[in-house]
Amino acid sequence: MKLNKIKYVALSIGAVLTMASCNTDDDGLDYMEPMLDFSGTYSQVDHIGRPGINTVLSYDMDGQPSVKDAQNVSIPSEMAGKFQAGFEARLEQYHDVYAGILGLDPNDVNYETNIAGLDAATLTGYLAADVLEVAPNNPTTYFAGLDLALTGRKLTDDVIDVSLILLFGGGTGDRFNGQPITINGEMKNLPRLVSDGVSLTATISSSFPYVGSPE
Amino acid sequence: MRKNKNLLGICVLAVVGIVLVAADHIDAPSTIGKTADIADFYAFEPTEGSNSTVFVVDLQSNVDPSLAYGSFDENVLTEINIDTDGDLIEDLVIQAIPRDGVMYFFGPVAPSATGVSGQVMTNSPLGAVSISSTTALVETTATGVSLFAGPRQDAFFFDFGQFNAVISGMAPEGFKVAGEATDTFDGVNTMSIVVELPNAMLGTPTGKNAFGFDVYKTWVTTNKK
Repeated sequence: MKLNKIKYVALSIGAVLTMASCNTDDDGLDYMEPMLDFSGTYSQVDHIGRPGINTVLSYDMDGQPSVKDAQNVSIPSEMAGKFQAGFEARLEQYHDVYAGILGLDPNDVNYETNIAGLDAATLTGYLAADVLEVAPNNPTTYFAGLDLALTGRKLTDDVIDVSLILLFGGGTGDRFNGQPITINGEMKNLPRLVSDGVSLTATISSSFPYVGSPE
Repeated sequence: MRKNKNLLGICVLAVVGIVLVAADHIDAPSTIGKTADIADFYAFEPTEGSNSTVFVVDLQSNVDPSLAYGSFDENVLTEINIDTDGDLIEDLVIQAIPRDGVMYFFGPVAPSATGVSGQVMTNSPLGAVSISSTTALVETTATGVSLFAGPRQDAFFFDFGQFNAVISGMAPEGFKVAGEATDTFDGVNTMSIVVELPNAMLGTPTGKNAFGFDVYKTWVTTNKK
């Protein structure tokens, strides 16, 4: 404890000295005043990598410890081991919901290997390790086809539609897209699950800081 | 047995599908409505072929009036974690923490410790920028780093209302078609932290994504004392 305290004091002094040394910057900010205290140990309370993963694929059950909270305080190298199985079960439950609505046996309506060739276990394992990849030497896109994918996330990328296609699009990408189908002699439409139908509405800019003034 | 599976699926989804907002907005019980709630994260090159990378971190949201929104919390350390070698362990961190109307940035630097706890890397200051109100105040450092912190429009778009109907089994047709669907985040604001820096400060990645591209694997955490 004492040792820690000494270390923090030393760090704080280091901080003040370092801040003072860069005070020649012309930003008009005086790093010396007030004396800044950044000491202490900070512990993780929330996490994000790819958009929507915790929201869509992890889930909480009444009377059970919160999986969503657990994911927020986990580290990516341990996430696949902790959460992949639950994600895969959740993905299958989504399919069961529509099996029920369509009057089909839920055992017959299952995830289908997607356009990226990923089976359910591989896809959910990949998504469970929740990081956002960004390629410094390739154009940024969340998904632009198999030739260019997962190289980052632009403000304009429709990450929800991409996620829906990978989760529900099957091998063609449009497996559940509102198509008519005959089930037990009755005409029905498959649910539309590969796009949520919306695109960017916010104002963005081509110059820093890229995101628009608040509304 | 088969019917049971069917019912179980629908019931489970109905129970959990109550108040979910993506991307990471309001994602879990213990972060809902808190100043440390991460709303979203973007990472991109500012222009095609650029030698820089932009990170946008959105905290808080006014998508629901009951949520925390409007100011950065001095007790919250925001950390952009960067894994350069593909082992899903952070090799570098960029940190941001506010003090008295100014957002201070540190890194990119190897953290004092990897994992869920750490210190502010005060020996590696990156720069600082006054926290903006409606007009963007931008700082560009001598090392070519651009910094911003303040309220901005939430660029996320998603028909969240229909999503909840879908996952709770209340929407036989699934999502709505364009023109009928509603972007729940239209008109919503968030608290943004934006950093643009030369890739040279991050080094050459050796990690790869599922399609074989060389990538930094990045994620954001919020942390409290």
